[in-house]
Amino acid sequence: MSVRSDVDPGRIALLEALLKEGKTWDVLAPRYGVTNPNPPWKTSLIAMCDCLAVRGALPTLDRRRAEDELAESVYSDVPAPERQLLALVHIMLSRSLVAEDNLASRMRAVRSRLEAV
Amino acid sequence: MSHTHKPGDSGGERHAAPMVEEVTDFEVLEIAVRELAIERGLFTAEDHRRFTEWTESVGPAAGSRLVAKAWTDPAFKARVMEDAVKACKEIGIDWAEPTGFGTPSDYMNLRVLEDTPTLHHVIVCTLCSCYPRPLLGMSPEWYRTTNYRRRLVRWPRQVLAEFGLVVPPEVEVRVEDSNQKCRFMVLPVRPEGTENWTEEQLAEIVTRDCMIGVALPRPGRTADVHPVQKASRPVQGAAHSGEATHEREE
Repeated sequence: MSVRSDVDPGRIALLEALLKEGKTWDVLAPRYGVTNPNPPWKTSLIAMCDCLAVRGALPTLDRRRAEDELAESVYSDVPAPERQLLALVHIMLSRSLVAEDNLASRMRAVRSRLEAV
Repeated sequence: MSHTHKPGDSGGERHAAPMVEEVTDFEVLEIAVRELAIERGLFTAEDHRRFTEWTESVGPAAGSRLVAKAWTDPAFKARVMEDAVKACKEIGIDWAEPTGFGTPSDYMNLRVLEDTPTLHHVIVCTLCSCYPRPLLGMSPEWYRTTNYRRRLVRWPRQVLAEFGLVVPPEVEVRVEDSNQKCRFMVLPVRPEGTENWTEEQLAEIVTRDCMIGVALPRPGRTADVHPVQKASRPVQGAAHSGEATHEREE
C-alpha cells in the first residue's frame, strides 16, 4: 500500500487564478516562435526543490509523494513544468512554509519590478 | 545587426525567438515563492545559485564509468541490474546526494536497460524531460523537443536513423518512457575491438548518446572527437565546401 502525503488537496484561489489565465508554456512558446520545450524558470525550479530538500524544509520524497497526488487530482490537466511549479507552491502553502497573502503581494511586487525595465 | 521577431509574423523565414516577450504569471510565481523562502531562511540565495550551476553543468561522465565497469566486471553488472541506485554508489554516485553538497530532486529509482545483439533500447520522456541527471547530467536540447518525444514512440527506427543509427530489422527496438517514478539509462553492448581495454579507455567511448540509445559505442569515437566524417555519397559540391554532415552506423 502506498503512503499518502500530508498535503491538503483543496484548491487554492491564488493558483487557480493563474490557471485561468491559460498562459502555460505550451501555449506561449509557439506564439513567440520559441522552440525551447522548457520555460526559462524550469532550472530555477529544480534548484529550488534541491535547496528545500538539502536544508530540511521539504524532503524530496515528501515532495514527490505530494506532487504525485496533486498531479493526479488538482492539477491533472496542467502541462508538466507548470504542474511541478504549482504542486511545489501548493505543498509549501499547505505546510505553511509560505502564506498565501504574502505570496500574492510578493507576486504583485515581482511583476512590477520585472515590468519596470 | 539586430534581429526582431514579432509574434504572428507569417512572411519570410521563420526564426526561433530566444524567449517569450512577456512576463508570465508562472515566472512571477517562481521568483516570488523563491524570494519568500529565502527571506524565511529555508535556504539561501547562494544555495540556489550553486544548485542551479550544478544542474546546468553536470555531465555524463558518471554514466560512462558505470557502463565501463559493468562491461569489465560481471559481478558489478549483476548488482547494477539488481539495484542500480545502490550499485551507483560503487562508482561514487549517491542518488540521495550526487552533488556532494545536497539532495537532488530526482526520484531515486533507476533501471539500467541492457542491450543485447538482438535487442536495442532507447529512452525518452514523452511527458516532459525526465532524465537520469546524477549519471548523465542535463538532457540534451533535442531530447526535450516534441519532435523527439512524440515521434520516437511511434517510429523509433525512423528517428534513430535520423541520428545515423540504422538498426537492422532482426534487432528488436524497445523504447522506455521515463517518468516521475522511474529513470532509465541504456547499457549498450560492448563493441568488438575493445578487448583488454582498461575501464578508463572504455569509458571514453561510452558517450551520452550511447546511454540514451541514439548511438552505439565504437572504438575511436569519443565525445571529444569531432563526429563529422566525409560522406560516402556526398551531395554534389558539398564535399568541397565542407558541408558533408551524415555518417552511417555500420
